[in-house]
Amino acid sequence: MPATLSTFSDQLADAVERGARSVVSVHARPRLPSTGVHWRDGVVVTTEATVRRDDNITVTLPDGRRIPAQLKGRDPGTDLAVLSIPTSQLPAATLGDPAALRPGHLVLALGRTGDSGPRAAFGAVSATGGKWRSWKGGEIDLWIQSDLTIYPGLGGGPLVSPDAAILGINSGGLSRPLATTIPVSTVERVVTQLLTKGYVARGWLGAAMQPVRFSDQHGGLVILSVEPDGPAALAGLMVGDVITSLDGHAVEHPDQVLELLGGDVVGRTLKVEVVRGGKQVGADLLIGERPRRAR
Amino acid sequence: MSTPPYEAAAWVKDCVVEVHQGAGTGSGLTWGFDVVVTNAHVARAGKVAVRLPDGQVREAWVRFADRERDIAVLDVPRLGLPAVMRRDPAELRPGEVLFAIGHPLGVRHAMSSGILHAVGPLPDGYPVPAPLRRLAWVQADLRLAPGNSGGPIADAEGRVVGVSTMIAGGLALAVPITAVEALVRARAA
Repeated sequence: MPATLSTFSDQLADAVERGARSVVSVHARPRLPSTGVHWRDGVVVTTEATVRRDDNITVTLPDGRRIPAQLKGRDPGTDLAVLSIPTSQLPAATLGDPAALRPGHLVLALGRTGDSGPRAAFGAVSATGGKWRSWKGGEIDLWIQSDLTIYPGLGGGPLVSPDAAILGINSGGLSRPLATTIPVSTVERVVTQLLTKGYVARGWLGAAMQPVRFSDQHGGLVILSVEPDGPAALAGLMVGDVITSLDGHAVEHPDQVLELLGGDVVGRTLKVEVVRGGKQVGADLLIGERPRRAR
Repeated sequence: MSTPPYEAAAWVKDCVVEVHQGAGTGSGLTWGFDVVVTNAHVARAGKVAVRLPDGQVREAWVRFADRERDIAVLDVPRLGLPAVMRRDPAELRPGEVLFAIGHPLGVRHAMSSGILHAVGPLPDGYPVPAPLRRLAWVQADLRLAPGNSGGPIADAEGRVVGVSTMIAGGLALAVPITAVEALVRARAA
């Protein structure tokens, strides 16, 4: 049978129906609820910016039941928050591989606001790319931008392929004018950290720095201030030192330092090379955990 | 039943007229013998001009207008056009392909396409005044512009499910065709 508009229409409606089986409504802010995805059994993921309170959170399931949920943790950097609900309430999300997405691929955004049926938006992937850092400092494994409209209440909902696989969580807050999706692998990593720790630990030097150039075209990062008793201070680093390498990697821009502090680095000792008074000096730096600001 | 998309759009296009009152232009859809439906904010009262798809212009009169549901019914003598096919929007599933035909920004018989977002009232907290929010709407993820008002939103087979009426937060809102049927029935009785 030739593919017609009607069969295509039915396929999209089927994808919405199947994808929405693990899509819930999250009541964690005044008035308009947001959307969440039942990611693993008993674990609901939504966007951090839509969770405006820590207590009295409820979730509406696809069958209309409204049940209490507990906040397990939030990571403003990746705009993700994790809630727990009783297990075996609904199927867990069927996850797909967003790395296979190319510009032009058709995608859906799903949402649920309260006890009504699913809400859907349709569009195409506009651009894809590699790892990037959000303006709030979170490390996101893939850049996925689409022309989907994230209507009020759809934030925290899934990006869904036409065969109903969930490819990530849509965020309205990471890149305001564009629909940005936090890919499956990033969600997996953050969910695991939030479930074990309640937050995502990030490495910390306790020093402010800015790029400088030496006359030979090489450069480094000059230390402008040092936090008392912070990791840099404890390693003996001083204002005016120019950091040229960290953990064996040449550093000329603060982004390169953030990159090195992004992974599982808290508590490790890294070699740091600095230029002090024209001489190369080495030091051991015990990476601390970035202090968390009160919300 | 399977219909190529251009055919579905062509059927619906033949049922879409332009409605002029004062300086404003809106769209309208053929309802039955010499009857056209549009928005009450397009045709308020009295005499209006209706431009048919073939370019002929007819004088028409507002038979009645319901401000609350924003629907007006026009008498158009010698209309000579088929009525739109209709489908109960309650049968629609989110994700189904929909298209709108109208005259957005004065572009005649322009089509825009998208999908069904939801059917029913808007959620609490949606940026729309409460009385409008609580009405039933066919909510579509497709682009409307001024001039679409009063025109049809149809499914993949060209069956009309709603009358394009307003835009809220980028979402296209259409009066369910069943609500129009109920109004027409009530006024006929």
